[in-house]
Amino acid sequence: MTWGLLLQAVVSGLLLGGVYGLVASGLSLVFGVLRVINFAHGSVMMLAMYATYWLFVLGGVDPYLSMVLTAPLFFVLGVAIQKVVIEPNRSSAEHNQLLLTLGLALFFENLALVLWQGDFRTVKVSYSGASFMLGDALVEVPRLIASAGAVLVAGTLFAFLRLTDVGKALRALAEEPEGAALVGINVPRIRAASFGLGSACVAVAGALITPFFYVAPDVAESFNIMAFVVVVLGGMGNLVGALAGGFIVGLAESLGAAFLPGSLKLLVVFAIFILVLLFRPQGLFGGSRGR
Amino acid sequence: MSDGMQCSSPARVTRRFFMVTSGAAAAVAGSPAVLRAQAREVKVGYILPVTGPLAFEAALALNGLTLATDEINTGGGIKSLGGAKITLLPGDTQNKVELGNSEASRLIDQGAVAIIGPFSSLVAFSVRQVTEKNRTPFLLLAAVADNLTEGGLKYTFRMQPNGKAMATLTVSNMFEMAKNANVPIRRVAMMHEEGNFGTTMGNHVEAFAKTMGYELVQRIPYNLRSPDLTSELSKVKASRPDLLIVSGYYGDSKLIAETASKLKIGVNALVGLANAAYSNPKFIAENRELTEQLFDGNYWHNPQSPRARAVFDAYQKKFGATMSNHSVQGYEVMFVLRDALERAGSMDRDKLREAIAKTNLTDQILTQESIRFDEAGEDIYATPALIQVQNGKPVVVGPAKYAEAKPIFPVLKWKG
Repeated sequence: MTWGLLLQAVVSGLLLGGVYGLVASGLSLVFGVLRVINFAHGSVMMLAMYATYWLFVLGGVDPYLSMVLTAPLFFVLGVAIQKVVIEPNRSSAEHNQLLLTLGLALFFENLALVLWQGDFRTVKVSYSGASFMLGDALVEVPRLIASAGAVLVAGTLFAFLRLTDVGKALRALAEEPEGAALVGINVPRIRAASFGLGSACVAVAGALITPFFYVAPDVAESFNIMAFVVVVLGGMGNLVGALAGGFIVGLAESLGAAFLPGSLKLLVVFAIFILVLLFRPQGLFGGSRGR
Repeated sequence: MSDGMQCSSPARVTRRFFMVTSGAAAAVAGSPAVLRAQAREVKVGYILPVTGPLAFEAALALNGLTLATDEINTGGGIKSLGGAKITLLPGDTQNKVELGNSEASRLIDQGAVAIIGPFSSLVAFSVRQVTEKNRTPFLLLAAVADNLTEGGLKYTFRMQPNGKAMATLTVSNMFEMAKNANVPIRRVAMMHEEGNFGTTMGNHVEAFAKTMGYELVQRIPYNLRSPDLTSELSKVKASRPDLLIVSGYYGDSKLIAETASKLKIGVNALVGLANAAYSNPKFIAENRELTEQLFDGNYWHNPQSPRARAVFDAYQKKFGATMSNHSVQGYEVMFVLRDALERAGSMDRDKLREAIAKTNLTDQILTQESIRFDEAGEDIYATPALIQVQNGKPVVVGPAKYAEAKPIFPVLKWKG
């Protein structure tokens, strides 16, 4: 074991963890308000990555700049999904809603396969390969931007929930749906807003990931499962918890990769996942109520 | 190679298109006996994942089959059968086991004298039973899993190298090259995807260490969806290997090459083993700087063969693209069948099976002396070529007999 390796693992873990945290924030938000486990979350991110890709290829729009377009666009898409698909099924059993989002995920994935084929596509920007050494550790600039961006977005989202009326309504709905309705909050509208925000969140994540990763119809699989682990770890519906959970999972994964043999790294992550579910089902940082 | 790989797959053939064309072919196949009596035909069935995730690779293999069939038919068909023309009967597996079985049965019912396919080892493993039961020769295409010829089967034949041959011969080729360059290889690191394909390759590289006298300093199986492999590669770097071998699919292999490059991994060479990316023309074209001087051990054509050059020209003319190794495999396997049909002089499947078993085909375009099958149905001469990307093109650098360029080794840019 060397310090260089340890440093590298910590750096890689923090860079990756931020991205996990960002993907998970959207998921956590949707769960907190809607009580729906959204399996389509990852595939919405995949669509956002394609949007980023095509904006770059066809319009020459820088991936980071493209967020300005994709985030609102995916907010609208999220609202549409909620209004058209989820809301009409609110009264049906929970597992039906779950299956519904799973169906949506499969639909999006196959749609992408039909439209853009199974090709691996990459956005080639000048800074794609940019990196520097921090001591012995390699820091890839696009990954650093993604991780820092994730913290920034999560912070903004947190402030939004605390300081704005819509944000407060969202939180009210998460805490006490009936009470929220009684005080005159337009509940369906806030639900739609939460799904929209979740989608916008993951659209930003997609834009941040695209410069250092590839785009393919099944790309979400690289992040999706981890996002679920993170949400459970951080507490369902807890945004700060999601971000912190992201860093924990990222670190566990990269430290596991550096110091355990073979592919045990994922075992570490999933062991943490199960332990948390067993002993602290509300998550390390408490559920939405503890926010 | 890469059986079952999920890389770069524009699904060129839509299901509808496939249905239309296969319907037309079936109509021909089912034409009345009177017609068939006039122009005899030999029906050959193929089962390929023409739609689904491997559609792109399947289309390449099919191009090779079609090219060979056209060449045989315009050259007068099977002479010992009175100039009978070969008719391809299409089957689509969608890369699914159950469809592989049902399509193979259907084609046999329609009178196919042999089945060619099915790309993925998983599907092949199951289809073997169908072909064996129906006493129909089964020529494996692309599938490399070692166990496909195990179990005392009589009707299954494999022209391409299996996993073991692929791994050990690639390592031998690398060592031969290193010896010639006076740069000994003592420490080897291996990264492979943790599925069946990568694990098989990893096992062979590990088992081969003692024979070749190298130390496997790291063996890292990874999930091919990992969004980051920096820690893994740092671990590889810390173990100071002379060589890093990578058996993976497209996206993961790309991530490994990129990260290794940024980490200045410090090896003498980065070598793909049956890698889906490192000798792939699309990958090379899109990553010129990164891919330059990468090695890959894979099945390939013999660049020294004048016939191979002619076939490549014909392919370019017909399909407007450079022939790929999947197409070469499709092309050559059809000629194995033609050779056997000529010698059998019969469309009887058992006689055909006997003829295939006695194959000794020297007029072929692969990087091997001849094509001959052993008891188990494995091609005893099957050899992967050692390929290196030079000036943006994958060229054969070993074995020496087939090399079209000298290997550049050690690769200084990886030394960092």
